[in-house]
Amino acid sequence: MSSNSSGPREGLRFFGKVSASVSHEIKNVFAVINEAAGLIGDFTLMAEKGMPIDPEKLQRTAKSIQGQIQRGDTIIKNMNALAHSTDEDAREVELTEILTLIVALSTRMADMKQMSLEVGDCEPTALHVSPFDVMQLLHGMIAATLDTLSQGDVLTIAVKPETDGVVFTLSVPGQTLELTNDSAVANMAQQMNATVANNKDNGFLELRLGRTV
Amino acid sequence: MAVKVLLIDDEAEFLENLSERMRVRGMEVSTAQTSDNAVSAVEEGEYDAIVLDLQMPGMNGIEMLKVIKARKPDMQVILLTGQATLEAGIEAMKLGAMDFMEKPADIDALTEKIKKAQAKKMLLVEEKTEKKVKDILKKKGW
Repeated sequence: MSSNSSGPREGLRFFGKVSASVSHEIKNVFAVINEAAGLIGDFTLMAEKGMPIDPEKLQRTAKSIQGQIQRGDTIIKNMNALAHSTDEDAREVELTEILTLIVALSTRMADMKQMSLEVGDCEPTALHVSPFDVMQLLHGMIAATLDTLSQGDVLTIAVKPETDGVVFTLSVPGQTLELTNDSAVANMAQQMNATVANNKDNGFLELRLGRTV
Repeated sequence: MAVKVLLIDDEAEFLENLSERMRVRGMEVSTAQTSDNAVSAVEEGEYDAIVLDLQMPGMNGIEMLKVIKARKPDMQVILLTGQATLEAGIEAMKLGAMDFMEKPADIDALTEKIKKAQAKKMLLVEEKTEKKVKDILKKKGW
């Protein structure tokens, strides 16, 4: 699945966490569609008994179903992209797309902690790397960082190229982020020859990957 | 007598659609989308049943169940979850949940459980009232 020889179990754990989150979101989508479809059925029964149907309510309910189908489709597309990230060990990837995907896949995790995730201002950043490994590392860093934050915080992640590689930055307005002591993240970073450090000037966490990963 | 229900879930559209279906079935429905609003609603309102999502942002359903039971011990709580595991079900029942259902839930099955919740709560209130009356009579030596 990936070139991460030290932690195939960690890779599975990451995939399992994301799969569990996705399956829960899809269940929520089904639950909304179930009630909306049932409500349309109720309107029909009421109409048969001579009660008028409110067209605005009917339209709102139909739109609810369509909206949830769009939502479900996006969730599945993201999951599919994660699944296909294991097709090859390493390839040329555009990291802004990887970042956008992992933020989308991690949003529910942040929501449950009553925090938010955002993709910050990025620059086009290509790297020859295993997309699965990068997503696993980013997900681990996001999870560990969220554990240090408070309700209402907005964690912004961005990526840009540097001379010898790339840098992902994690930031929260007005805060100095702590270095994670999560061993799985540390091991993954070491395997990928990545470094994680605090930028003392702006309080950002910086994850650096070299050109040869 | 109309059943009074408090629905607690973080999905706004789910709350809107399910509460409408419950009102069509003659229930009086209040809703809460956050754990803070839910706690306020529990403290300020009187309900026959609470239908509670197990996975809520912030305070999860199990923690909310503990809060509800601490404030209103007779309150009947039905937990709804996207993933009904045996362990979660057992934990919920040990903490005093009346029942446990998996989403998407069948409205007729849910309605039946809510009616049972109303009946159970009424029985508990009657038993408490009867005990109070007996205690008063005993004190008076009657």
